[in-house]
Formats: sequence, structure tokens, C-alpha cells
Amino acid sequence: MIITKKRDFKDLMENLRNYKSFFLIGCSECASLCGTGGEPELAAMKEALEAEGKTVTGTLLPKTGCQTLGTKIELKKDKEACAKAEAIIVMSCGAGTQSAVEIFPDKPVFPSNDSLFLGNMTRFQMFDERCSLCGKCVLDKTGGICPVTACPKGLLNGPCGGTDNGKCEVSPDIECAWVRIYERMKKTDQLEDFKKVLEPKDWSASRKPATLNTRDKKEEKK
Amino acid sequence: MSFKSALESGKFTVTAEVGPPKGTDIKKILHEAGMLKGKVDALNVTDNQSAVMRINSMSFCKLLLDMGQEPILQMTCRDRNRIGLQSDLLGASILGIKNVLCMTGDHPNAGDHKEAKPVYDIESVQLLQVVDGLNNGRDLMGNDLQGATDYYQGAVVTPEANPIEPQMMKFEKKVKAGAKFFQTQAIYDIDKFKVFMSDARKFPVKILAGLVLLKSAGMANFMNKFVPGITVPQELIDELKAAGKEKALDKGIDIMARHIRQLKDENICDGVHIMAIGAEDKVPAIMERAGLL
Ligand code: SF4
Ligand code: SF4
Repeated sequence: MIITKKRDFKDLMENLRNYKSFFLIGCSECASLCGTGGEPELAAMKEALEAEGKTVTGTLLPKTGCQTLGTKIELKKDKEACAKAEAIIVMSCGAGTQSAVEIFPDKPVFPSNDSLFLGNMTRFQMFDERCSLCGKCVLDKTGGICPVTACPKGLLNGPCGGTDNGKCEVSPDIECAWVRIYERMKKTDQLEDFKKVLEPKDWSASRKPATLNTRDKKEEKK
Repeated sequence: MSFKSALESGKFTVTAEVGPPKGTDIKKILHEAGMLKGKVDALNVTDNQSAVMRINSMSFCKLLLDMGQEPILQMTCRDRNRIGLQSDLLGASILGIKNVLCMTGDHPNAGDHKEAKPVYDIESVQLLQVVDGLNNGRDLMGNDLQGATDYYQGAVVTPEANPIEPQMMKFEKKVKAGAKFFQTQAIYDIDKFKVFMSDARKFPVKILAGLVLLKSAGMANFMNKFVPGITVPQELIDELKAAGKEKALDKGIDIMARHIRQLKDENICDGVHIMAIGAEDKVPAIMERAGLL
């Protein structure tokens, strides 16, 4: 899921200084799990804004904020409330925010969160980054642990000289990715693969902005 | 004799590390480099070592060449992508630089520009492949070069890494990728080093034992605590302590000279790489006491 963190409320207020009324959009997926854009956070934001003398014309918790078309359809019932708002506040990730930007071509849209990374939830509201969406996965060659993400240097061919008793040179809070990979591949009897040299990564596979249209291809086949 | 011919001829080869300063005043380092002329086989010039921004390795290598000394260009993958690295390798080649040491490089987090974006577009094993390619007249993408390079390329290895197995697997990858010589992380326990060497000797590469000059018991304790892959045995720390504050550096020189003698006399490795870290002026004394001068 996309991990988000609330921005400082003072900074948000600075962004909102020229506007009085707002419509709030959260997200029932990642932002709810991160505690940044679910039902309780929408209610708290409404209260906080009202305490600052602002008006909240309505709120919506869409099913999936980054699903632009779906969110647009869900917003239909809030047409009036949206019309009354001078600006929109989106309490999900940067993708959800830009769904709103597309849906509201003539209203300012402000994010209330910072978007951090694609993460795994390891415990309730604790998140780890395990994949950085590099576009060409090497998990098949690294025992299922991603060195592109878990090693601060993104090394592909084994530990650097800084590895120390399983810890990373960058911080003792980081487990050396390559020691983890080694231990796992030893257990799974894949060390023969560990010995193979991995070629330089093709970074063109993660160029921005990325797009993908699987629909066209299927239609072409017909 | 060139560094390469020295190593290949079987001569016990000595290199010393020099770190270009931060700033344009190079009087001190030129003086120190001058003192080593005719004594060591090559001078190994660091590349923004510990991720602290300084004069680049290539410029200083060129100055050494002009002084009639043989440089080894250290090259890390931290600050340049594959285009920058290859371009610098071609550039260093036309300046007459013949030796390159390929490393991944310390993370910016260790240095004085912690907010820098680390590059690591490729890493040590792949950089060795790149050098091998350039030596054979083609770049990383397989494009033909108008004139190939002629590098003698090396890499680093940490004999006391913990765990050692993945380190040795990476060592093998580096050999396969074309490394001709290795310079090790600092070693202090010759018996342990012999165990590493019995493994390393299986490969057709030359090994220079890395030796860092101990200047005090405090420094030894600091390295044990904070520098990964370095272990200074307690006996050596006691020796430094017994020597007293004033004589500790002298004792450090003794210890290194003793280690060099043993490495050479017992034919344990092919040479040594001396890292005096700020006490480069002591290198001649070390060599003298080791019986190398
Ligand atoms: S290799 Fe790339 S795609 Fe695979 S887990 Fe790592 S970052 Fe994600
Ligand atoms: S210590 Fe391990 S995880 Fe850290 S940079 Fe080196 S190889 Fe990567």
C-alpha cells in the first residue's frame, strides 16, 4: 500500500489561508490503514478546520481514491456540497490528490498528507518499504528479498565492505540486505544463484512518468 | 618497474595511500608524496574517501604522474552514473593513468554531505566488468571504442568480514569480473589472515594486505568499535598502552613493520598496502624498519 504521513497542520493552514470553505476527500484503502485519511481522520479534520473558523461543506470517503473514474462517480451525490466549497482537501496519497485535481478542473486542491513509499504493514500502523517499483524485478535472483530497496546502495552482487555482524554500515537499525539474502538463499539451497553476477540494472524501466495500458493490447488481439 | 610488472614479477610490492585534501592547498600532500618517491611501487589515491568531499582522485593522480610517480586511481560508484564512470575512465587513460581500483564507495551518510543523492547506478563488480570491456575496446552497451584503455584493475576485499561467506562469494565475482589485484581492508591478525589467504590463493590474483598504522590504543579501540571488518587484537592494544602516550605512534610503526616482515618472510601475500591516515611522513620509517629500504 502507499504509506502516507499527516503534514503539519500549520503548513496546511498556510496553504488554505485564502479560502474559507472546503470539501474533504479521504480514502478507504491505504490512507485509512495509515490513519491519515479514514473516517476518524475526516471527522477530526472537519473539527480542526471549524475551530479555525473555516466551513466544511461535506466529506467523502471514496472506496479507492486513486481510482479516478470510481471516485468521480461516488462524488456525484455530493455535487452540491462540492459546488459550495472554494477548495478541496484530499486526505490520501499524491495519487488520490491528483484524482481530485482531474475531477475538479476549476477548484484548488490541497493535500493534507505527505506520500512516503510503497510499504508493507508489518504490525498495526507500522510500515516497511520492501519494493521501490524499479520496473524490472530481481526478486527471482535474490532469494525473494529486494536489494534495490533493502540495501541503501541498491547493490546487486553481494554485501559491501561496510556490513557488520549483519548490520548495515548506514545505520545499525538496518539489517544488511545482503546478509539476509545470503542467509535465506542458504536455507532455501539457492546459493548457486547467489554466485551469479547480476548485470547493471536497466533503469529505463522505471522512467517517469510511467503509463500502462493493458486494455489496448487485449483489444488489438481481437 | 611499473606497479603491474612489480606484482607480476613476484616482487613483494608496496603501495601507500594518499588522500587528496579538502581545498586547493596541496603543499603538504605533495611534500609527503615526494618523500615516498622511489620507495613505494605505487601511490593509491582515494576517491572522496568516507564520502567526504575533496579534490578528485584523477587530478591528483595526474600530478603524481608529472612527479614521476605511479598512481592507482581509486574509483567509487557513489558519485557518478555509468556514463560518468566510463567517461572518467577514458579520461584518466589519456592522462596516462594505468591502474584503477574499483570500489562501491562509502554511503554519503558517512560523510560531510549527508543530504547528497547517492548514485550507485552500477557497483564494484559491474565496474570491474566495465573496465574489462573498455580494455577490450567496448563500452558497457557494447559500442565500439575508438581506442581501448589499458588498465590494470583491482578491487577490495574484507578478510575479516562477518559473516565471511557472502564476502568470499563477492570476492569470487570480482575475480570473474576481471580483477587482477586485491587490496584488503586493514588486517592485524596474521594467523587469521593466513586462513583467508589459503582461500584467496586458489584464484589467479595478486593480494596486497591492507595495513592501517595504529597511532594509539584509543584509535585501536575506536576501530574495533566503529569500523566494520577491522579487528585489532587485544595484545596489540596492550602493546600500544604499555608504550605510553608519547611512544604509542613509534610502537604503531614497530607493529606495522613487524607485520610486513612476517608477511614477506613467510611469503603470505604478494605485498602490502600501507594506510598511514594522516601520518604519511612515517611511511619511509615503517619501510625501513620492515627491512624494505
Ligand atoms: S526488484 Fe524492483 S520490482 Fe522487484 S521488489 Fe525490488 S524494487 Fe520491487
Ligand atoms: S551494509 Fe549491506 S545493506 Fe548496507 S549498504 Fe552494504 S550491502 Fe547494502
